[in-house]
Amino acid sequence: MIKEYIENWSGEINTVTIGATLNEGGTRRFSIKVGGEKTLPFLFKENKLPFKPVIAYEVWDIPPSDWPEELIRFYKDVLNDPLAWAEKVVKEYNAELICLKLAGAHPEIGKSPDEIVKLLENILKSLDVPLIIIGCGDDQKDNLILPVCSQITKNQRCLIGEVTQDNYRTLTASVLADGHNIIAQSPIDINIAKQLNILISDMGLPLERIVINPTVGALGYGLEYTYSIMERLRLAGLNGDKVIASPFICFVGQEAWRAKEAKAEDSEFPQWGKASRRGPLWEMITATVLLQAGADILVMRHPEAIRKVKEYIELAYSV
Amino acid sequence: MEKFKVTFYPDNKTVEANRGQTLLSVAISAGIYINSSCGGEGVCGRCKVILKKGDVLTQPTGRLTIEERKKGIYLACLTTVQSDLEIEIPEESRLSFDKLTPQEIELRLRGLYGESEDIPSSDSLLGEVFVHSPLATKLYLELPKPDLNDRISDLERLYREIRKNYDIPIMQTGLANIRRLGEILRSSDWKVTVTLGKRNGTVEVVLIEPYDTSKRNYGLAFDIGTTTICAELIDLNTKKILGTKAIYNKQAVFGPDVITRIIYAQEQDGLEKLHHAVVDGMNQMIQEFVQEQKIDLNDVTCVLCAGNTTMIHLLLKIEPSYIRKEPYVPTANFVPTIRAAEAGIKINPRGLLSCVPGVSSYVGGDTVAGVLSCGLYKEKNLCLLIDIGTNGEIVLGNKDFLVSCAASAGPAFEGSGVSCGMRASSGAIQKVKINPQTYEVEFSTIGSSLARGICGSGYIDILAEMLRAGIIDKSGKIKLKVHPRIRETEYGREFVVAFKEQTSIDSDIIINEADIENLKRAKAAIFSASSILLKHMGVDFKDVKKIFIAGGFGNYLDIKNAKIIGLLPDLEDDKFIFVGNSSLAGARQILLSYPAMQKANELARKITYFELSVDPNYMEEYMAALFFPHTDILRFPNIKNLI
Repeated sequence: MIKEYIENWSGEINTVTIGATLNEGGTRRFSIKVGGEKTLPFLFKENKLPFKPVIAYEVWDIPPSDWPEELIRFYKDVLNDPLAWAEKVVKEYNAELICLKLAGAHPEIGKSPDEIVKLLENILKSLDVPLIIIGCGDDQKDNLILPVCSQITKNQRCLIGEVTQDNYRTLTASVLADGHNIIAQSPIDINIAKQLNILISDMGLPLERIVINPTVGALGYGLEYTYSIMERLRLAGLNGDKVIASPFICFVGQEAWRAKEAKAEDSEFPQWGKASRRGPLWEMITATVLLQAGADILVMRHPEAIRKVKEYIELAYSV
Repeated sequence: MEKFKVTFYPDNKTVEANRGQTLLSVAISAGIYINSSCGGEGVCGRCKVILKKGDVLTQPTGRLTIEERKKGIYLACLTTVQSDLEIEIPEESRLSFDKLTPQEIELRLRGLYGESEDIPSSDSLLGEVFVHSPLATKLYLELPKPDLNDRISDLERLYREIRKNYDIPIMQTGLANIRRLGEILRSSDWKVTVTLGKRNGTVEVVLIEPYDTSKRNYGLAFDIGTTTICAELIDLNTKKILGTKAIYNKQAVFGPDVITRIIYAQEQDGLEKLHHAVVDGMNQMIQEFVQEQKIDLNDVTCVLCAGNTTMIHLLLKIEPSYIRKEPYVPTANFVPTIRAAEAGIKINPRGLLSCVPGVSSYVGGDTVAGVLSCGLYKEKNLCLLIDIGTNGEIVLGNKDFLVSCAASAGPAFEGSGVSCGMRASSGAIQKVKINPQTYEVEFSTIGSSLARGICGSGYIDILAEMLRAGIIDKSGKIKLKVHPRIRETEYGREFVVAFKEQTSIDSDIIINEADIENLKRAKAAIFSASSILLKHMGVDFKDVKKIFIAGGFGNYLDIKNAKIIGLLPDLEDDKFIFVGNSSLAGARQILLSYPAMQKANELARKITYFELSVDPNYMEEYMAALFFPHTDILRFPNIKNLI
């Protein structure tokens, strides 16, 4: 019989902790650890995978304009109230991690820093799960509001983002001062991913506080390419390159629900089957493939898809 | 077509111009050369002229400030003649040709800048000493007069006498010489000097002169660079170098690099103009040599040229366009020895011109001459030759194998395409130190004159010092925010290297983020080309025992700073050997020795060429090199702690 081959990796993925409990200076009920992998995804026989991948529920500060009915129907009652939205996903859907997207801060919509501060204060008061905070995507505006968010949530050990190679200094300085973690976004490019990690750690932020967003594509929209880039990054990390041995965050919902196959209504393509099944399946399959590629944090939207992916993770980790 | 008179000041030259002709082309027709790094595309903003009188039409450009527009400043390439004009050309817009100081010429031809005197120049230690056997040899003969017992023809009589000296089975002689032979032999009492030229495997009786001129035989070695043309006048009998010269290649006015020139050659009369620009420059150098050395032009019997493939095509007026079209095939890599006059080069009318053979479209005879002169081809250990230029050529190998590639680095290190860049000539900032606490800048210029711009070595120093002082981050973005030397502009942040008072151009000399990006790309192209070549051969930089640095630019380089920015690999300093203008040294060897020419032919055939543009790994390597010093810091273990 052929002996099972075991690879002895020289490196391991950095462990990042999100959320600080009372003991740790924050007010979260628990903290979440991601990363720490000593081998490739799901190779439990080979070495340790100490932490399960986690799923964050996406919550917006304004009603999203491009979410299809299949998503909207779950959040109809809370779309105009981000605090209620956050409460709903925690209390009703048992979310253990919230990803707050501050889309309303975008210059075209123009929510003020004051409104955002108030929202964050309320969320911190009302809820005790760890937080991910994402800016509006406009560099200048993000450089204004994210440092404020960082201050308001000081010592809560949030995961804040995103920074890019062209705009990382302002937020990195805030995150460093306020004890948070950072999301480093690169455009499906291992070199830029690594360069950005070097630039951030050159400013003094430890590598254990960086999560990489490698930028992903949904099923049918570049998922294979995403997979190969994530795999190469992970292999480099396991081979001992500390600089890019960061856990991954993947914005699954955002990508999957952009696909025509996910969001088209029943009447548009009757032969494609029901949107209520098609949409969540699209998000779910994208998520499970990204888990195979090494995703540590999945940011998702559809409660049913999230439930299924959680089941999948539980099942995989129970063997 | 309506004609107008255009007068240029301060030259006070007036020429006729057509309505609609650009000021740039009018200036060229007046023999006035204006800076135009982009080849008249309106991109570089170097061709600023001042309108004194008359009407013009111009196109909008972001390269002029509102203030400049108010002063009547226009870009010559975007502005056309609409009436009689008076135009002033400011100093900074001029291409200063021919005005290299003897000291600069010296630098271009060999050694290093400043503290580098201890590094040997290329011809003293390196390379092979080939048997003395120049391209053209003179032989004095006293022929036995014919009589009834010895009635062979004049020509056979000449051959018989030559063969008493040399074993040459096949000889040829042109009809023009044969026509004159009978008369020359009889009028000079059968005492003649023949010039024997080596032409493509046979020997030609190039020249027959009355009486003994054999002591007077001169040749020229040329290195025809994209930016600079260097030449040596050599006594072919004694092998002595009688003089050296360097001028700027006047083709620069048509574009900074080979690609823009190939494109220009497609325009009407473009090839003709490019050809004349180089030939005129060479003839001018020859004229000066002849006058200075008090020799007769007729005693200059041969010319040997080394240049990249495009330069040789343009010299010989061969259509170059196929060089830049897939699959990148030149018309000729091996050009047979021709009569110099056919190419328009004025030496003895029957004198010869030979070119060092090239490997491919982008690895030319200059590289082959470089390999020959630095002796890379006979090294036991693995060596690398890096010619840092607009088109960076890299050769890896030893006595067993030779591989090469070319990297399109762009002209940033030669001072083009960067906002305050200039060639390494008088007034160029060439050495820079930045105080890491105060960010004060100390610099020295070539010729110790007031600063006019920054040359390649200056840029390398500036980048390395800015990294060390923490003014820029490893991706090249300026991170320092508040300082008198830092300014926000519409092109991003800029850093003032020299304030107005320290310059002769009435404005600050700066480096901005766009410049840094250009320089980063240039260094990434050179480094990644070297590392891809090594990867192809399954070796690593640490396996390389010697690195020869060639090129005009290579003369000024600070090795340590070049390592800090990741242009050169992080190896021990003593592995780097400056070979200066190795192309010219090779051309000289070939001019003086037929075996050297045979060796060059052999090398050109032997060097394997890798086309990087079709290599899937090149882009990946290049992207990884777009960082200071490199994304993979493990490749620069000694630099790690310096920045």
